[in-house]
Amino acid sequence: MKRKGLGFYLRIYGKILAQDLKSKMSYRADFIISTIGMIFTNIAGFASFWILFRNFPSINGWNYYEILFLYGFSLISLTPVQCLLDNNWSLRSYVYLGDFIKYCFRPINLFFYYQSEVFDIKGLGQLAFGIGTLIYSWIKLGLGFTPLMLLKVIVFLITASLIMMALQNAAAATCFWIHNSFYLLDMTLKFKDYAKYPVTIFSPVFRFIFTFIMPIAFIAYYPSLVILRPDEVPLLSWLSPLFGCVFFWLSYKLWMFGAMKYSGTGS
Amino acid sequence: MPPIITIQNVTKEFKVLNRREGLKGSLKDLFSRDYKIVRAVDNISMNIEQGEIVGYLGPNGAGKSTTIKMMTGVLEPTSGEILVGGNVPYKNRTKNAQEIGVVFGQRSQLWWALPLIESFKLLKDIYQIADRDYENMLEMYRSLADIEPLLHKPVRQMSLGQRTLSDILAAFLHNPKIVFLDEPTIGLDVSMKSKIRELIHALNKEKNTTVILTTHDMGDVDALCRRIVIIDKGKMLYDNDIEHLKGFFGSYRTLKIRVDGILSERAEEVKAQLPDFSVSADEEWISVLVDEERAAVMEVLNQLQSSFDIRDMQLEEISTEDVIKKIYEEGVE
Amino acid sequence: MKLKKYLSLTRAGIIESLQFRLATVIMVIGNLLYLIVVYFLWKSIYASAETDVVNGMTFTDTLIYLVLATALFNFMEMYTVWEMGRNIQSGKIVLDLLKPMEYRRYLFWSYSGSFVTQFFFTFLPTFIVVSVVTHGAVPLGINLLFFAVSVVLAVLINYSIDFIVGTICLYTESIWGINIMKQVIVLLLSGATVPIAFFPEPLKTVVYYLPFQSIYNAPLTLLLNGSPTPETVFEILGTQLLWCIGMTLLGKLFWKLSLRQITVNGG
Repeated sequence: MKRKGLGFYLRIYGKILAQDLKSKMSYRADFIISTIGMIFTNIAGFASFWILFRNFPSINGWNYYEILFLYGFSLISLTPVQCLLDNNWSLRSYVYLGDFIKYCFRPINLFFYYQSEVFDIKGLGQLAFGIGTLIYSWIKLGLGFTPLMLLKVIVFLITASLIMMALQNAAAATCFWIHNSFYLLDMTLKFKDYAKYPVTIFSPVFRFIFTFIMPIAFIAYYPSLVILRPDEVPLLSWLSPLFGCVFFWLSYKLWMFGAMKYSGTGS
Repeated sequence: MPPIITIQNVTKEFKVLNRREGLKGSLKDLFSRDYKIVRAVDNISMNIEQGEIVGYLGPNGAGKSTTIKMMTGVLEPTSGEILVGGNVPYKNRTKNAQEIGVVFGQRSQLWWALPLIESFKLLKDIYQIADRDYENMLEMYRSLADIEPLLHKPVRQMSLGQRTLSDILAAFLHNPKIVFLDEPTIGLDVSMKSKIRELIHALNKEKNTTVILTTHDMGDVDALCRRIVIIDKGKMLYDNDIEHLKGFFGSYRTLKIRVDGILSERAEEVKAQLPDFSVSADEEWISVLVDEERAAVMEVLNQLQSSFDIRDMQLEEISTEDVIKKIYEEGVE
Repeated sequence: MKLKKYLSLTRAGIIESLQFRLATVIMVIGNLLYLIVVYFLWKSIYASAETDVVNGMTFTDTLIYLVLATALFNFMEMYTVWEMGRNIQSGKIVLDLLKPMEYRRYLFWSYSGSFVTQFFFTFLPTFIVVSVVTHGAVPLGINLLFFAVSVVLAVLINYSIDFIVGTICLYTESIWGINIMKQVIVLLLSGATVPIAFFPEPLKTVVYYLPFQSIYNAPLTLLLNGSPTPETVFEILGTQLLWCIGMTLLGKLFWKLSLRQITVNGG
């Protein structure tokens, strides 16, 4: 048996993806409706945002465009989780009905095999929205542009994505222990909506919780500081890439541990 | 050659919550810590040789699936040892997976939206099957079954029978040493059942693949298995040849006679004459289950002929189905 | 008795939801955590404003409004669209249609059990916490009665809208897209994310002519108003009642027509 390295997995993912896209194209109506749904979601998000700022000019010293920057940042960093790990949403019902077992018999990484089954193309629409928002607020804030800044943005976007993936993985993995873990997953999704606000609005206790326990502050706030407030970047911002990797690794381990422990329902 | 599968004194226990009944009970359960230990598999041992087809039987909830999950590496036994093709399955799950194929009745492991041939191609990559082996395998499949119309059909559009067939082909594709089939013919019509059985039989012959088959359909067993293993409530009841099993219960044969009159009434009269035998009646026949160790069939027939006007008669060997039923009901002495 | 067969569905639902005990605990904790997030967010939003009262709502008003809107949302969300969509796709709908009960009733009553558990595990705790935190800012008088009546109507309107959207699943496979569009529209236009009082004037007018504000805005307005004039009560409840009847009839009709379409053409 040949060793299965990164190349092996990338090749397999590429092939599954190509096939998946091909078959999705044959359900065009579904694709169009889902895309419209995605656009709706984003427009509604902007609408409530806009209504809010019509009444309140700033939040905790952050002006409209700065928060918009956070907003765009969080939209982009949500793309990978939406595109790559969407099958986590079905995990609960696979486990509950005992169907998860069918993923356990392949000689490849279980986590990879399970997630590779679904690629959610709708996430790309969100990516476009996010990039648009980020560029718009960037220009309005007059931040200027250097290659170094671009590099920083990319590194920190990857960081934020890792955190978001970690959160969703961990929430989904709970279904291996708790039967109906839907609430947890739904809750994570709800909390990530608050990632777009500066963490300084919370009291120290909750700032700690949202930094180290449910690290939504890393999704937009800490990374954005590097660009928005270059003079007062806390150590945590610079450490966030490390945190991203650690959190993701932990969530992966948790997921795999749960899957191994899983015994399937029924006789 | 050592056996391909060795199972030694394997036990698997689960912890389950004691649930109470009704609304009040459910509320109490919210705070309860009342667990009990359930022994799903209780100290079983067996060896399986390369190339065997073994029927693994037992009533619902007997522990069949649990055993299979342990052999495939999904579950870790509580105690005891399992070796599958030289691997300890739960320790080397991926390595073990390379050597085995699994079909779980109605749970298709194929990519739902993809045409079968694309699933095969993906499996070829996942199992790292060499081009030549892959082509040869497809060639063989073509010779065994009419797969052309299936290859370009998405799995989601297939009938249950076609899907089962595809799943079985997919399980054999990487030429595994062992294939586990969990109720492969469940829900299929008669002709599809026999097609699937022929296919399993042929694949086993071609590649000398070991097949472990769980089923509730004794037709599968009669068509495919020489050896059967029966478990119930986690305990092993029987492990031997199917022929041996039939003799095991004494040499039972069923004598069927047809007489005039209302059969259920006449059956009562027969019963009165033969108090030691089990007698039953349907619309056509009165059946007497004769234990030949106690009385020869001819004796019984003679006795009946003296008091009844027998129009017609038939003699039947006991069926596997009857034997298994007897074992589930009475156990093995 | 006729009601008995419906109530036994309720009872089964309660038992079913209690099976998932850890999930229940998580639900309660998650809900409280969410309240805290909302509290801090709006506290800092109000702190950034120059006045204490914005659009006629104080911080306390807004907090109570939003927190209870979320609690109501959890209480009312029955995942009807998902359930219908899945049943239609899997063909299980045929079995449900054979039940000696109208499908829309069957579905409603199957879920009614979770109304009861949700009420005790999320709405009531939330309500108590909010009353304590705001030092009794929630008026406790006749308004509670109006609120209760209004919530019942809101549940019915919400269910009817869900049922209509669910019926669309007979025509398309895109459950996700349909559901997300519905959810986004309902949440925004019903005033569940931002109180309608904050909406700009023209939008406010439009929203008042749509059924969605009857779901969250109507009961919460009644609850927050300690001494309402009979006219206000009459107007709000009357509007709700009209929408309730209208949407129910529309849902029934649409379902009936769609079903005929399907049975004629063969599903």
